Amino acid sequence: MTNMTAVITQEDQALFVRTKRKQRYKQFIKGILFLLPSIALFSVFLFYPLLRTIYLSFFLTDASGATTVFVGWDNFVTLFQSTIFQQSIKSTFLFVLYTVPLTIVISLFLAIIANEKLKGIGFFRTIFSSTMGISVAAASVFWLYLFHPTIGFLNIIMDTFGLEKVGWLTDPSWALIAVAVTTIWMNIGFTFLILLGGLQSIDKYLYESADVDGAGYFYKLRRITIPMLSPTLFFVVTVTIINAFQTFGQVDILTQGGPQNATNLMVYSIYREAFTNYQFGSASAQAIILFIIILLMTIIQFKLGERKVHYQ
Amino acid sequence: MKKMLLFVVLSMTIFMAACGSNDAEGSSEATETEDGKQIVTFWHAMGGASQEALDKIVASYNESQDEVEVRAEFQGTYDEALTKFHSVAGTDSAPTMIQVFEIGTMSMVNSGHIEPIQKFIDEDGYDMGHLEENIVNYYKIDDQFYSMPFNSSTPVMFYNKDAFEEAGLDPENPPQTFEEVEAASKAIVESNPEMKGFALQAYGWLFEQLLANQGALLLNEDNGRSGVATEIGFTEEQGKSIFEWVERMNTDGTFANYGTNGDNMLAGFLAEDVSMFLQSSANSRDLIDNAPFEVGVAFLPHPENVEREGVVIGGASLWMSEGKEEAEQKAAWDFMKYLQSPEIQAQWHTDTGYFAINPAAYEEELAVEMHEENPQLKVTVEQLQATNPSYATQGAVMDMIPEERKIIETALESVFNGGDVDTTYQTAIEQLNAAIETANKARGE
Repeated sequence: MTNMTAVITQEDQALFVRTKRKQRYKQFIKGILFLLPSIALFSVFLFYPLLRTIYLSFFLTDASGATTVFVGWDNFVTLFQSTIFQQSIKSTFLFVLYTVPLTIVISLFLAIIANEKLKGIGFFRTIFSSTMGISVAAASVFWLYLFHPTIGFLNIIMDTFGLEKVGWLTDPSWALIAVAVTTIWMNIGFTFLILLGGLQSIDKYLYESADVDGAGYFYKLRRITIPMLSPTLFFVVTVTIINAFQTFGQVDILTQGGPQNATNLMVYSIYREAFTNYQFGSASAQAIILFIIILLMTIIQFKLGERKVHYQ
Repeated sequence: MKKMLLFVVLSMTIFMAACGSNDAEGSSEATETEDGKQIVTFWHAMGGASQEALDKIVASYNESQDEVEVRAEFQGTYDEALTKFHSVAGTDSAPTMIQVFEIGTMSMVNSGHIEPIQKFIDEDGYDMGHLEENIVNYYKIDDQFYSMPFNSSTPVMFYNKDAFEEAGLDPENPPQTFEEVEAASKAIVESNPEMKGFALQAYGWLFEQLLANQGALLLNEDNGRSGVATEIGFTEEQGKSIFEWVERMNTDGTFANYGTNGDNMLAGFLAEDVSMFLQSSANSRDLIDNAPFEVGVAFLPHPENVEREGVVIGGASLWMSEGKEEAEQKAAWDFMKYLQSPEIQAQWHTDTGYFAINPAAYEEELAVEMHEENPQLKVTVEQLQATNPSYATQGAVMDMIPEERKIIETALESVFNGGDVDTTYQTAIEQLNAAIETANKARGE
């Protein structure tokens, strides 16, 4: 009896394993088929350009971008020795440091006050998110006039208070701050909207039971709002950091990377290397480095940040 | 399972087909208007007041005959237009003709996507001899015209005559040398502490002009005209003189720093925040019309201890795309000839401040009248005619010049902000020579 069952089970098991394998294979094909459209699109618009960039980064090119001389790692070596590129990396990190925390703190503050149920709050919500509807170019030109050294509004205010005029876009110690201020102002709209959305989706009963327990406003903020908002915050932080690394439009319009390369952020530097200097090889090398930096930053965030995120 | 596969393959085919048909549409882009006129697309980089002047000329050409319709398309700054051209060159989206600034000349010649103008000159038996001699000098490379000169300007010094008078300076006798500019700046600031004396835009083109005015070469090998340049051609004294000039005015507190932004500088001048600045004569008409004070135009200054050599032709020329139908190219060629005619050049000169590349334009009634009314417009012409023809004033040709300008601009900004002249100068020279080396290497020769 026991022998019999053993035999059957063995045969069964063999059949079972075979069926399972077949099933798995089918599943795999199905999965691939579902992924095919996106794989095709990604290959055309992401993977191929990425491989091409890596390829280009080992060459020198002529003005139309055709490769001429293979130089191996030379482009990378020259980059790391170049003071201009070091400055560019430094400025980019400083820029991220200036913009990301401030954008999030200000937007969070605005989102929390706009989350109150008051008469006419819709008006304020529209105002706070309005910068989302302004293009980078338009916002930059607007700030360009505010920053004008002599007839700009900011310097006129400084003047009336008896302060010395600031060369917002011409003084290397101010220019990066000026570009950062512009960027923060521009990003607030989007960040505000996402955070407000996050706040609105927090369940009311949490606050009600806290009220019953007699919790104060700041206690509720610290113990309910922030933890419940953490997935949204995490998303906003990641996106803002990546955006900050990829800043281009503001720099192009406000400073063109100047003064003294103080605002020559990496993406702008890549653009300049490729389309002004026609050194597509060196520009591709910079693009690869930027890619690695962003990749590392994102991995670190997921490792460190996500642990603190509370998913419902 | 099979059905699904079929579906996927089908949808992929449709997707591909959609892409394909898009391409086909692109290639059959109309080259003729509905009523059978030949279309010529013309990319240019003239913004603001110059764009209005250019559009007027294009409209007048389209009305003057009924075979060709020129469509002028603004493509951003010279840099941007050139970049766009390089990315579409050789395809059907390339324009029939494009305006490229003087320093893009080598990069266009090397691109291999242009039809040298010389071909049409020969076929047509057209005489370029009536053009301004200095322009012919600049654009004739190895005895060939690759492109048709169109808009040329020289750098001039604009100054505020009213402010000069208030400061007790002679408004009819503007400063000629670096030293005189410094002295005048001091006088201006003393009489009006609200106004700075002098502004220099951190602009590589102006640096090149200030070098040429001292008779200095930008690149060796006679500015790259006798052979491929291998390093910079100016001496330390010549190069530094400009940096030190700015530094002295900075210490005096008479220098206004507008960085690399030319528009801010123009706005500052119009708002009476600065009394003198250097800029292309192409701004003349705009400034004269819009300033609430009397605007003076003077020659580009030079250091006291050297003679004035003169200026390099700035501006742009018109290039013909390769691989267009012959009828289209012929039509573009006809338009280019039209742009050279004395009447059009007179109109262009008086509307903008670019000088007329065809000197016969100055005999036109329009130009004569305008010169009487605004004698400032004559300065650019006189300055060009006073220029000694030499390698220095012929200007440098090399494909890395756009990069050279960026390096110089960074160095100038650093001096504007009180950086040390010696170290700044050394760094800039090293970067320039490295850039020349890379450019030579990248050509793979």
